[in-house]
Amino acid sequence: MASLREGWNIQVRVIGALMLRELTTRFGRENIGFLWIMVEPILFALLVGLVWRFQKGPLEFGVDIIAFTVSGYIPLVLFRSIVTRSIMSFTANGSFMYHRQIKVLDILLVRFLIELIGHMMAYVVIGLALGAFGMFPQPYDVGFIILGALYYAAFCFSVALVVAPLSEMSEVLEKVTPVTLYIMIPFSGTFFLVSSLSRSAANVVLYSPPVHGMEMMRYGLFGPSIDPQFDYLYPLKFILPVTALGLLLCRIVRRRLVVE
Amino acid sequence: MIVCENLRKSYPAGSGRKEVLKGVNLTVQKGERVALLGRNGAGKSTLIKQIGGVELPDSGRVIRKMTNSWPIGFNGGFQGSLTGYDNARFIARIYGRTYSEMRDFVEDFTELGTSLKMPVKTYSSGMRARLAFALSLAIEFDCYLIDEVILVGDQNFQRKCHAELFEKRADRAMIIASHDMQTVSAVCDRAVVLHDGRATIYNNVDDAVAVYESL
Repeated sequence: MASLREGWNIQVRVIGALMLRELTTRFGRENIGFLWIMVEPILFALLVGLVWRFQKGPLEFGVDIIAFTVSGYIPLVLFRSIVTRSIMSFTANGSFMYHRQIKVLDILLVRFLIELIGHMMAYVVIGLALGAFGMFPQPYDVGFIILGALYYAAFCFSVALVVAPLSEMSEVLEKVTPVTLYIMIPFSGTFFLVSSLSRSAANVVLYSPPVHGMEMMRYGLFGPSIDPQFDYLYPLKFILPVTALGLLLCRIVRRRLVVE
Repeated sequence: MIVCENLRKSYPAGSGRKEVLKGVNLTVQKGERVALLGRNGAGKSTLIKQIGGVELPDSGRVIRKMTNSWPIGFNGGFQGSLTGYDNARFIARIYGRTYSEMRDFVEDFTELGTSLKMPVKTYSSGMRARLAFALSLAIEFDCYLIDEVILVGDQNFQRKCHAELFEKRADRAMIIASHDMQTVSAVCDRAVVLHDGRATIYNNVDDAVAVYESL
């Protein structure tokens, strides 16, 4: 028991130290510092929301179009950031391997947590700001927003767990990732409600795990009027095996990692 | 005690692989100072990295029954983009030490003054060596792994290093890779000569130095 607690203490210490280091190197200590992490998702969601507002009018699927765009774009940007930042992250942080209490998984976990916290903060800030102008609904059920976010984040992390070690094995992956992330957009659930699709199209997109998380989040935000379609079990059938594969690949890559 | 059992390590070289360590066996007892000799590229740094757990061997294993430092060298163990102070803060955090003690020790040992507020990548190799030693000496280990940086820098720093390593920490084990035969003969109890991926152990350091010089 004592050694388990000791291990846990070391883990907490390492994650904390790595997060502070990552925040310092990425954002510095000047001006708003790590709050910069919220700027990209907020600008992205807000500007696209405004463009759509003027192109398509005030409503989309019966809800405020800006709120709808924000609710889809922030998770999408989260997915893209997590995957992009995982690429070659072991090599970039090779000097951490000088300290045996730091594991390669810590590197991934820290980058993931920073993106997750940053995007969640962005979601809350933008929601409150738009809410003040009556452009964002009072959430129907916050619990479902959090549950959906957890499903969505778990999916992102499982993909990062596979992409990170593969990017160390082959440079091809680094080159094709941007295109792949672009192709992924229709399968992320960002731009539609599953209930608005035809039966056959809905059946296809529901094979994509993040769509389930997205539908849960939107149910939590907009309520039953959007007729959410999701399954609790299906995303796990994807996430758990992919996570296991990722852990295995990380182990293999760690053995081969060359540290300067 | 630290035991290396049949360590093998290769690196990618073109389409094939170059085997740097071809089955190295070595035991270092508590308090023992072992010199690591060999020509450039013989695998001294590679062996130290395997012992420190920075890299993992292709086969064989390292058994650690005492705490060991990270390999102390000009690179590694710190982040070039961070300042000297930030590095000290980071090391203090991951090893669970208080930062104020760490900072005082680093300021006192390195004498780098305001340079500690600059990114480490702007440091000269002498300054890096000072910081590297300060950071690892601030954490107490049973065994120090020293990769080349021993007795570099000016007279004053050499004296300090000598006092901190060989006088204050005379009871610690050390594995020292060096080309400085005088120092090695003066401070080490045993020596290992690395050649062609194999390690030969000499209980008399002068014998090892003679072999090294004939390579």
